[in-house]
Amino acid sequence: MFGRACFVLSAGLLFVAPPAVAADASTAGPLIQQGEYIFRAAGCYGCHTDEKHAGKPLAGGHALATPFGTFHTPNITPDAETGIGRWSEQDFRNAMREGLSPSGDHYYPSFPYTSYTKLSDEDLRALWAYLRAQPPVKQANRKHDLKWFARARSFVGSWKSLYFAPGAYKPDAAKSTAWNRGAYLAEAAAHCGECHTPRTALGGIKSGMHYAGTRDGPDDSVVPNITPDRKTGIGRWRASELAEYLETGMTPDGDSAGDLMAEVIDNGLKYLRKEDLAAMADYVLSLPPVEHAVRKADKKPVKKEDYE
Amino acid sequence: MKHARISHCILLVSAYLLAGTAVAAESEDIIKYRQNVMKSNGAHMAAAAAIINGKVDYKGQLGDHARALQAINKDINSLFPKDSDFGETKALDAVWEKNADFQKLAKTAAQKADALAKTVAAGDSKNYAARFKELSDSCKACHKDFRKEEK
Repeated sequence: MFGRACFVLSAGLLFVAPPAVAADASTAGPLIQQGEYIFRAAGCYGCHTDEKHAGKPLAGGHALATPFGTFHTPNITPDAETGIGRWSEQDFRNAMREGLSPSGDHYYPSFPYTSYTKLSDEDLRALWAYLRAQPPVKQANRKHDLKWFARARSFVGSWKSLYFAPGAYKPDAAKSTAWNRGAYLAEAAAHCGECHTPRTALGGIKSGMHYAGTRDGPDDSVVPNITPDRKTGIGRWRASELAEYLETGMTPDGDSAGDLMAEVIDNGLKYLRKEDLAAMADYVLSLPPVEHAVRKADKKPVKKEDYE
Repeated sequence: MKHARISHCILLVSAYLLAGTAVAAESEDIIKYRQNVMKSNGAHMAAAAAIINGKVDYKGQLGDHARALQAINKDINSLFPKDSDFGETKALDAVWEKNADFQKLAKTAAQKADALAKTVAAGDSKNYAARFKELSDSCKACHKDFRKEEK
């Protein structure tokens, strides 16, 4: 398997992109501003920045532990050699909508193109403009550290035929504009289901279990059931409480978000407009409740002996 | 007399030893205590938020919650003694491995809770929400790096 840097380099021989210009988003044009907004909603920063080790923004290197091994996220700054500086806008669209690298290889779905494919053409264009305007950082990508059964990238092609349906989000005409906006933000941008929906042994989304939570979340976390089931989900939350949580991280019982969700809020959701957060909350709470307990159940207390 | 004093002494020493071993060995009890203190922390946060956001009209009680938060958050680090990491805890090893960072965040929480209590005591109502937000952010900042979602 070749590193992604290799693909980028070979792609660079074909495309000569103009050098990236760093711009301050506050003075940037409306397209870049729209791009920043969708960048926040889509949570790009968190995975593509190694915050734990004070990594530079978007330079990658964030380790994402999954049941398939550890993925090391790539550099998405406009650096020509180590980032995506030599990509064309079409390369970017292929990555986001088709899960394909510039050389036509399949990306692992740890990069949630299964959700990003639903982003609108306009938002993809804006996001690309925003990414191009970020300062380039020279930082080589690190190879993924995968378990043997996940190493062959070619299998990802078969996986995609099972679990991946490319195409922008299509609004549901029977539902309100706000509902569709919430659905778009949750499904296409914020990709809630990538963590909150349990997966099959093959890593596909389990049908009928949308947002029902899992014990096999990234970095060994237990990801809560966020369906409106009253017993095992968040059916007791009001939409206003959920919207508030998405902005502040505080639950109705006064607990504060931690771990990956705190990161998602801090680097992304808290920047969204209140009406968008309200739309997301309304959408999530409109979904079918699924009774699925993931917290604590079946968990034996960890004993000291286990470590010795 | 002398005899009694000696036996007293032995009693005392063994009591200390027993107490000592009991405290040192029961990581589970410390974890439960810590979780209860944290739960009360959250409960006061939710109660204070409901008042500050105008959901309920218990303005007279806001000071009680603010003072409770001030007291609870005074020394969060003390709730995490060494060897209190074995058992059903969501505390990450980083609490002890990067204790300086942890202590810094705990101190921030103490300062923010103190600031909220003082603002409420002064009746400076236009700043309640901002002070509360800062305290809530300090909770989240620490949970982000030091608490696992159900380890």
